[in-house]
Amino acid sequence: ALLYPSGGHGWPTHTACRDGGLEVLYQSCDPLQDFGFSIDQCSRHVKQNLSIRFGIILGEDIQELFVDVALVTKGSPFFNFSYPICEKDQPKFSFCGRRKGEKFYYAGPVNNIGFDIPEGEYQVLVEMYNENRSPVGCANATVICC
Amino acid sequence: MISSSCLARTLIPAMAFLSCLRPESWDPCTEVVPNITYQCMEVNLYNIPENLPSSTENLDLSFNFLRHLGSHNFSKFPELRVLDLSRCGIQVIEDDTYQGLNQLSTLILTGNPVQHLDLRTFSGLSSLQKLVAVEINLNSLEDLPIGHLKTLKELNVAHNFIHSFKLPEYFCNLSNLEYMDLSNNQIHNIYHKDLQVLYQIPFHNLSLDLSLNKIDFIEPGAFKDIKLQKLVLRSNFDSMDVMKTCIQSLAGLEVYELVLGEFKNERQLNEFDKSALEGLCNLTIENFRIAFFDEFSLDDIGVFHCLENVSAVSLLNLYVNHLERIPKEFRWQSLELIDCDLEQFPTLTLSSLKRFIFTANEVSNTFGELDLQSLEFLDLSKNGLSFRSCCSSRDFGTVRLKHLDLSFNEVISMSSNFVDMEQLEHLDFQYSTLKRANAFSVFLSLTKLRYLDLSYTNTHVTFDGFFHGLFSLEVLKMPGNSFQGNSLPNILTNLGNLTFLDLSNCQLETIDPTALNPLGKLQVLNMSYNKLLSLDLFPYENLSSLQVVDVSFNRIVTLQIQERYHLPNKLTLLNVTQNDFACACEHQTSLQWIKDQRQLLVDVEQMLCATPAGMKGLPVLSFRNTTCQMSKTIISVSVLMVIMVSLVVVLVYKFYFHLMLLAGCKRYGRGECTYDAFVIYSSHDEDWVRNELVKNLEEGVPPFRLCLHYRDFIPGVAISANIIQEGFHKSRKVIVVVSKNFIQSRWCIFEYEIAQTWQFLSTCSGIIFVILQKVEKSLLRQQVELYRLLNRNTYLEWEDNALGQHIFWRRLRKALLAGKPQNPEGTPDADMQPEATSAM
Repeated sequence: ALLYPSGGHGWPTHTACRDGGLEVLYQSCDPLQDFGFSIDQCSRHVKQNLSIRFGIILGEDIQELFVDVALVTKGSPFFNFSYPICEKDQPKFSFCGRRKGEKFYYAGPVNNIGFDIPEGEYQVLVEMYNENRSPVGCANATVICC
Repeated sequence: MISSSCLARTLIPAMAFLSCLRPESWDPCTEVVPNITYQCMEVNLYNIPENLPSSTENLDLSFNFLRHLGSHNFSKFPELRVLDLSRCGIQVIEDDTYQGLNQLSTLILTGNPVQHLDLRTFSGLSSLQKLVAVEINLNSLEDLPIGHLKTLKELNVAHNFIHSFKLPEYFCNLSNLEYMDLSNNQIHNIYHKDLQVLYQIPFHNLSLDLSLNKIDFIEPGAFKDIKLQKLVLRSNFDSMDVMKTCIQSLAGLEVYELVLGEFKNERQLNEFDKSALEGLCNLTIENFRIAFFDEFSLDDIGVFHCLENVSAVSLLNLYVNHLERIPKEFRWQSLELIDCDLEQFPTLTLSSLKRFIFTANEVSNTFGELDLQSLEFLDLSKNGLSFRSCCSSRDFGTVRLKHLDLSFNEVISMSSNFVDMEQLEHLDFQYSTLKRANAFSVFLSLTKLRYLDLSYTNTHVTFDGFFHGLFSLEVLKMPGNSFQGNSLPNILTNLGNLTFLDLSNCQLETIDPTALNPLGKLQVLNMSYNKLLSLDLFPYENLSSLQVVDVSFNRIVTLQIQERYHLPNKLTLLNVTQNDFACACEHQTSLQWIKDQRQLLVDVEQMLCATPAGMKGLPVLSFRNTTCQMSKTIISVSVLMVIMVSLVVVLVYKFYFHLMLLAGCKRYGRGECTYDAFVIYSSHDEDWVRNELVKNLEEGVPPFRLCLHYRDFIPGVAISANIIQEGFHKSRKVIVVVSKNFIQSRWCIFEYEIAQTWQFLSTCSGIIFVILQKVEKSLLRQQVELYRLLNRNTYLEWEDNALGQHIFWRRLRKALLAGKPQNPEGTPDADMQPEATSAM
């Protein structure tokens, strides 16, 4: 299910979580592949140790891996950040250094400062790329909080 | 028949030749490097593509549906060096599939559910150096038929189901093996017999990665007397006891680098027991690295007592606190502390330490002091440290420092100019805030410094001696700073050895023309993201070593091209993109230069015009010189036209009446004259005209008909029109009655001027001058033309005596008779009387 769209345009929209007044939907924006993602505790009060699950078949080697996140509300970006996930000398995670074609599944916490999501609808663009800036994964997510 | 077969014989090879010439289609693959590299990733291939050239060296067939690789499948590509077959659903690889690939050095089989590997599966492959067999359902190293791959250097069998660490017999042949990745398998136990082959043939350079195998047991002495380059054991043990036992069982191993620890997402050990590392006393280790152990505490320094003799220690992402307690006797030469949860900056006293890396620890306090006499390399970046006084050898307790990195910290206040730090070769301050750097020549004593990074240090250079002393400097990075007056002054005079200069993002508007002159060895110059309005290439002529110049993202409107100007010989890249080029004819030379130097210019096709409005957004290359030539012609023609039109207008204005006369002449033609003469006179002389002239000429014999304004001008018509139409057009002759009054009358002078033109146009001498009274010469001179004419022409003079008057009338009649038609209309009897009848 992670590879090859069954015809049609673009990848289907998945639900990462829907509970406690929060709904997170996402769609892969990588033309080559879809991926699986879910958030364990769905709440507008984001805990410091948020547990996520993430599965993808790698289209590139990831000796190094970086993620760029852009938050957009009402069409204007208001938050951007870039974070190194895998660095060359000091592989922090067990999936660092994995190979193109390898399955990669992560279930675990995501460190963050812990915050409450204000009411509203947000668009989040998440892009992951490797040391050659080749795209590893890409997602357009919608966060609806009410 | 014969001729047609001949024709066919000629045509067929010709068409074959032409078909060779047409551009090849590599569909569905993509050509990356012609004849060498082809990309066929995820293009729904069920077979090996046939249409690729046999010279192909790099072939990516990943993410297709090849499923079954047959014998000699790749024989068409004997030059292959890299073959990527990742995730192609390959279940069967037949014997001799890779036969003939004698050049192949890398074979990637990641993510294929291979069911069976035969002895001859990897036959051929006589040059294979790297085999990636990650996630191929491999159960055992025994199953891998690679014993003949003597050139193999790297074997990656991570993420499989290998349950035994037993290195098969065939490893004896793999004497070149340097790296084996067995991580993420099912190896639980390691026995002495598993490593037998390592006793038979020593692998001096072998690195082993066993991470992510849940190891329960290592037979004591299994690694005894074995030499390894590197052994990685991360996230292997699920309890401290197992870890402790296993490390003890490594006794006798000689390893250059041992890596222990966990991964951030694969932590199994909840607490750290200092005794776990006791076993390390029985190992010979050169470099020791430990990473991501939860609750790892250095409170009890006994943890490291087995590591007294290692030369390098690296601690990554640990909870380390009391580092001060490391005994002085330790022989560590290198210590790395990265992302460790330290409360404050440690005061270390290790006399052997040459290299100290202390980064990303975010201690957020003020730098204390170090007492490291042998220290040569110090990296204190990314700590949020403040330096109250920087820098002298006392701060670091060493006079041997060659490399100092204080980047990504807080405020660094410069208080001394690197006293006793003359050995420094590399100095990095980037993204820390430098204070008081302008007060004195901070770098004066750093005569050996080769690398200086001051990027984004909020430095505003106002002091001319800022760079004094940096005689050996080769690399200077200054982006994100500023200079006084946003102008680069001539302050780089000492930097004759500089090869790399980055002045990007410095808000520079101008550059002193001589500022770059001292940089005779400069190779790379970056002045992008400034506010330069023009680029004068002249200063670069002296920089004979210059290879790369980047002035992109400025406000350059035009390049100033000097005559007799030559670019440095070695210049290979010039980036002038993202500027405000004016694509106007006035910058034609500059734009032509851009076209001429397109080989040199980066992304010349993407260079766009900013002005004029008509060219905005269009490529600079689309500017045509011919438009300038066109417009030049247009401009000169229009100017000429304007001049001519104005000239005509002026002339028409001046000679308006003359022209009317000319038009009238054409209209009326010859022989239509009503009057014999038009009399021009001043109204003050009217008495004489009425009483003498009219009486004598009109009533005399022959009678002449005179045109007189008081009598013959048509009322209601403009005087000027009457003068021309009635006076001149209808009269044969003009009698000008010259007197003092005449000269003073403007109408008379006007009439006289018209008369002159009329005389000129009618090409006969029609003006008869009558001097009524002597006019003073001075008055006459006011009318230059008249004066000249009177001097040259014969004129009649009115006399007071009777004889004189008689002669006067005779001469006048004669003059009026000249040119009079024989029988003109309306004067039937006019010519009947000869001059003899003129007696009065």
